[in-house]
Amino acid sequence: MTDRYPGYDVLARRWTESWNETTRQVIDQRLAVPREPRFFSATEWRTLSAVCDRIVPQPKDRPPVPLPAYVDQKMADGLLDGYRYAQMPPQGEAWQRGLAALDAAAKEAHGGPFHGLSAEQQDGLLRRMQQGNLIGKAWGGMPCKLFFEHRVLPDITHAYYAHPIAWNEIGFGGPASPRGYVRMGLDRRDPWEAVEAALGEGTDTRRKNNHGG
Amino acid sequence: MTRNPAPLAISATALLGLTALALTLRPVVGTRVVRSRPPVHIRMIDPGAAIRAARRMNRAAGVIAAAVLADSSIEHYRGSFHNKAMIAPLVIASLSLAASVHGNADKRSTAHRVRDGIYAAAALTGLIGTCFHIFNIGKKSGGFSWQNLFYSAPIGAPAALILSGTMGFLAERVRDTTPGVAPIIAGVSAGRAVAAATSLGLLGTASEAALLHFRGAYHDPFMYLPVTIPPVTAALIGNAAFGRARERRPMTRFWLRFTALLGFAGSGFHAIGIARNMGGWRNWRQNLLNGPPLPAPPSFTGLALAGLAALGLMEDHPDD
Repeated sequence: MTDRYPGYDVLARRWTESWNETTRQVIDQRLAVPREPRFFSATEWRTLSAVCDRIVPQPKDRPPVPLPAYVDQKMADGLLDGYRYAQMPPQGEAWQRGLAALDAAAKEAHGGPFHGLSAEQQDGLLRRMQQGNLIGKAWGGMPCKLFFEHRVLPDITHAYYAHPIAWNEIGFGGPASPRGYVRMGLDRRDPWEAVEAALGEGTDTRRKNNHGG
Repeated sequence: MTRNPAPLAISATALLGLTALALTLRPVVGTRVVRSRPPVHIRMIDPGAAIRAARRMNRAAGVIAAAVLADSSIEHYRGSFHNKAMIAPLVIASLSLAASVHGNADKRSTAHRVRDGIYAAAALTGLIGTCFHIFNIGKKSGGFSWQNLFYSAPIGAPAALILSGTMGFLAERVRDTTPGVAPIIAGVSAGRAVAAATSLGLLGTASEAALLHFRGAYHDPFMYLPVTIPPVTAALIGNAAFGRARERRPMTRFWLRFTALLGFAGSGFHAIGIARNMGGWRNWRQNLLNGPPLPAPPSFTGLALAGLAALGLMEDHPDD
C-alpha cells in the first residue's frame, strides 16, 4: 500500500496544542479496548473476526486495527445508531443472528465453520449475503441484504476509521479538539495538518510531517 | 427569496474609496495666499501650526497603516498567499508606516517626494485591493450574497489602506504650506478636507464592523460600540467639515478622543474573544486566525487621530 502521508503519525500530536487532556483520555480509552469479547460468544467472535478480515483486509506489516473488538464494544456498551430498520432486530441481536446464520450457511455450503473457509469461499458467502441470496431459518426473518448493508458494512468500516492507524493512512488529524481547522477551502491546508505526498516529494513531505503538530 | 441588499453596501464602500481617491488625485493647489484684505478677526497664525497638523496626520496614517499591516499579514497568511498579489498590502502598508514614522520626525515645511509617492501608492493599492475583493466576492457561487459578504475577503480591509494613503497624502499637502499661511487642499481649507475624509472613513469602517459584528450576532453587548460611537463621531466631524469656522468644538474633540480609545479597547475585546475560543490563547495558531481580528479595531484610532488633526487645523486656520 502506498504511503500517502509519509512520516505522519497522528499520535505525535499527543502533547501539542492540537489535543487537550480530554482528547488524550478519549484516545487512550480507544486504544485500550480489550481484545477479548465481552458481548459475543467464542464462536460468534471467531466468525466476526473472519468477516472483519474480509470486509477490511489489513496489511501484515503493522498491528491491525482491532475491528472485532470495536464491534463487540459497540454491542456491549449499547452504543446505538439512533435509528433502526423495522425489519431488523436490535443491533446486538442482529449481529448474533447474522453471524449464526452465516456460520450455518458455511456448514451447509462447504461443510465447515465460516472462519475455517478459504478467503474465496468466505467472499462467496458474503457476496451472496450482500445480494440477498443467503436464505435459511437461522436468519429468523431478518433480510440478509439489510444485515450486510446496515450492520456489517457500517459497523466494521466505522470501527476501522475510529483508529489512529487508519487516520495516519488518510492524513486525518483525529479529534479537532481543541485545535481544529481554519483553512477550509479546497486544496488548502493548515500548517498543523498532515502533508500529502506529491510525486517525487517523499523526503520533503516526510520532513514536514515530522514537524507537524 | 428577497433581493439581497449587498450590492448597496458594495457601492457605498466603493463610493467611499473613490471619494477618498478623488480627494488625493484632484489637482492640488499647494498653497495660496488666503486673503487680499486682512481678516476681520486679527489672529496671529502660528507658523508651526501646519507642520504640527501634518505630523498629527502622519501619525494617523501610521496607525492605520500599522493596523492594515498586521491585519493583512494575519489574514493573507491564513489565505496561504494563494495569490502572489496578496503580498502587496504587506509591502505597501510597511512603506506607509515607515513614511509616517519619517514624516512624524520631519519638521520641515515642504512635502517629501518619496513619502508622497508612497502614500499615493498606498491609496492606489488600497483601491485596487478593494476592487479585487469585490471581484472575488462576485466570482463566488451565490455572488453578492450575505454568506459571501460575511465569509469572503472583506471589502473594508483594503479600504483602510486607501484611508492610510489618503491621510498621509493629505498630510503632505498640509505640510507643504508656507509657514504662517493657511493650508489649502483642492481649493478648500485643509482642516475641512481632512475632516470630511475622516467622517467618510469612520462611516465606512463602522459599516465593516456592522457587517462582521452582525455575522457575530452581536453576542456581546460591547459589539454594539463600534457601530454606535463612530457614527456619532462621524456626524460631529462631518458637521465640523461643513459647519461654521471659529467654533469651539469640545464635544467633537471628546468623541474623537473616545473613538481613538475605542480603537484600542476593541483590540482588547478581540483578545478576550480569542481567549474564549476553544484552546484559548494557547491555541493561538488557530484562534488568532479564527477568532475576531485583533489588529482591525485600531483603524478607528487612526481615523480619530486624523479627525483631531483636522480639528486642530480648523482652529489654527479658520477660513472665514
